[in-house]
Amino acid sequence: MKTILQLIRKDYKLFWSDRRAVTMTFIIPIALIIIWGAVFGNLNKGGTATKLHIAFLNNSTSPIGKKIERVLDSSKTFVLIKTYKDENDKRIPFDTASIQNFVRKGSVSAALVIPADALSDTAFGLKLKFYYDPKNDLEMQMIEGMLQKTIMSEIPDIFMQGMKNKAVKFLGLDSGKAFNNEIAKTVGKYFKIDPKWITNPPVDSLLSMAGGSDSAKNSFFQNILQLDKVQLVGQDIANPWATRSVGGWAMMFLLFTLTATSSALFEEKKSGVVLRLLASPISRVQILWSKYLYNMSLGFIQLLILFSAGALLYQIDIFSNFINLVLIIIAAATACTAFGMLLSSISRTAGQANGYGMFLILAMSSIGGAWFPTSFMPDFIQTISKFTIVYWSMDGILQVLWRGAGIFDILPHIGILIGIAVLITSISIWQFKKGHVF
Amino acid sequence: MIKINSITKRYPTITALDNISLNVNKQEFFGLLGPNGAGKTTLMNLLVGYLNPDQGDIHIAGEKVTQDGLHTRKNIGLVPQSLALYDDLSAQDNLDIFGSFYHIEKNLLKERIKEKLESVQLYERRKDKVKTFSGGMKRRLNLVASMLHDPPILLCDEPTVGIDPQSRNAIFDYLLMLNEQGKTIVYTTHYMEEAERLCKRIAIIDFGKIIAEGTIDELIEKLPYDETILITKNQVTKGKIDLLKSFGSVVDEDDHFQLKPNAGFQLSQFFSSLEKNTISYKFVELHKPTLESYFLHLTGRRLRD
Repeated sequence: MKTILQLIRKDYKLFWSDRRAVTMTFIIPIALIIIWGAVFGNLNKGGTATKLHIAFLNNSTSPIGKKIERVLDSSKTFVLIKTYKDENDKRIPFDTASIQNFVRKGSVSAALVIPADALSDTAFGLKLKFYYDPKNDLEMQMIEGMLQKTIMSEIPDIFMQGMKNKAVKFLGLDSGKAFNNEIAKTVGKYFKIDPKWITNPPVDSLLSMAGGSDSAKNSFFQNILQLDKVQLVGQDIANPWATRSVGGWAMMFLLFTLTATSSALFEEKKSGVVLRLLASPISRVQILWSKYLYNMSLGFIQLLILFSAGALLYQIDIFSNFINLVLIIIAAATACTAFGMLLSSISRTAGQANGYGMFLILAMSSIGGAWFPTSFMPDFIQTISKFTIVYWSMDGILQVLWRGAGIFDILPHIGILIGIAVLITSISIWQFKKGHVF
Repeated sequence: MIKINSITKRYPTITALDNISLNVNKQEFFGLLGPNGAGKTTLMNLLVGYLNPDQGDIHIAGEKVTQDGLHTRKNIGLVPQSLALYDDLSAQDNLDIFGSFYHIEKNLLKERIKEKLESVQLYERRKDKVKTFSGGMKRRLNLVASMLHDPPILLCDEPTVGIDPQSRNAIFDYLLMLNEQGKTIVYTTHYMEEAERLCKRIAIIDFGKIIAEGTIDELIEKLPYDETILITKNQVTKGKIDLLKSFGSVVDEDDHFQLKPNAGFQLSQFFSSLEKNTISYKFVELHKPTLESYFLHLTGRRLRD
């Protein structure tokens, strides 16, 4: 044991003397977590994605048109661009032609126009024009979805306007109005709503709705549909997004670190140090054990530092369930170390080990849920993901940080990770005996 | 001190050592001379237990050497051919690490590190990283890194590869001093001059076999001639090649012919014949035979071919 401890001491001395290794292990992962945090949103406040920029032109004089403009202006999701710069750098308000040109030039991906006849066409409740450049399909779907959600949730009376217009179109003006009044009376009676609210919602009320008064906004729909939203898990988590994400990133960095440190065996062999070590009273088994324990402890330290950085930067609560977090981190580090050792045992050079490592780490990270939730993936990928270290490590970390899981809840995760470690370590030992490294 | 009994070591495509037997005596400076690829390093790796032989066995100080037997390694210090050092650490840290594996008492190890660094003139640079050292300094450190546990046997596998003559001489002097102090040294090289300067006894190895063994004088005496004759290559001598061949075997080398005389060769008769054939004496040099001559005699090749 004393020899193994001396070998571990040697590896730590080498690690700390190598500034590049220290930077790659601790500084770069923390820097990337900060960068990704900035890219994906304002993590400190648990906020959502950055605002979407769209060009906007309102040609309608109707109160609803004005309300839509006001709603979108005050939205947290959109930034409305209403002017463009001409050759003289002068700001010019959009017209129908210039707003289309603005999209064509690629200045924005989409433009929304409320036409002059937005409400006068009896065939529709509201008519809008949406110009877009589908250069980024995902972005376009997001803009469309967010626009519909914002407009329909903020201005529910557009539904009613649409229904009334349809009745007038098919029954004629007088019969249509009579039909609408009868419907309003019936609906009002059963859902305890003033029928006037249905037939002629007052503009003042609409405008107050636009101002964001919850009682006015929900008064109509709340009496028809009541959706009680109750969050059962993670209510107390200060930063849900970071809590969910940091585990995945940390796992990916851990795999990269342990692959690199495991392949250091090749450097030692190349320089003749392995021969020198084996010419002293040290056995191959002792060298392998020391490498295993060194990598595992380094992995544990790395994960602990990355989670501490997450706690500091993004208020991830690592202390309320700290013991279980430590247990799952140890299990994850053990499995990742086994993975690094396996790569070394099946490779003939450090370059080969790093090449295999790069492929397998990226594949495991994407499939295992380090980049985005596995629930987004097809069923067969979700099945494959369960064979990866990343999946069980991430899920275990999530159980601890998100659900406050106890030891019995994470025992299956720990068991599977240790099982994977035992299995691939056995393969490594068998491969090491073949003598590629020693 | 070292007994090598009928060792054979095979690799998938080559037999590196073929039924080798050798004995190295206590406090002897023993040389293993042979060209690159002859099997010297494989034999060293077997001696430290890094490899297991396919046949035969090795005993050091009475104990059998095996891959798993760690105890015999305390008697051995291996100076590997490569610079087996950590470049990013200081000289002192390197020695501290390698010494720690022998579980030497802390203060004693500290004392030995100081002593070894001083003995190879590196004490002043002890805190500098090895990567800042010259090739010669690294070689000297590589040497003392193998001696912190004060082993009675030192195995040196071409320890002077790629260094300047001054550093080489310093290493030679150091090794000779160690030998005088009682260390048994096994030294592999493909430089005949090194073997001649350092070793009391040598074995010549080629294609995995020991082809000769003895003291330098014993080996040279085995040659069928007392001297080799070098004749400068020019228009005159080129035309008299048949004449030269009548006195012995002639090897055509870069800028001269090397004549290895036949048995019964008479020097006076040779010079008289040269005179008759108008070959000036100034084109002729007499040399005492060397290990190189002996190797050439045995294999038909030069050591560095």
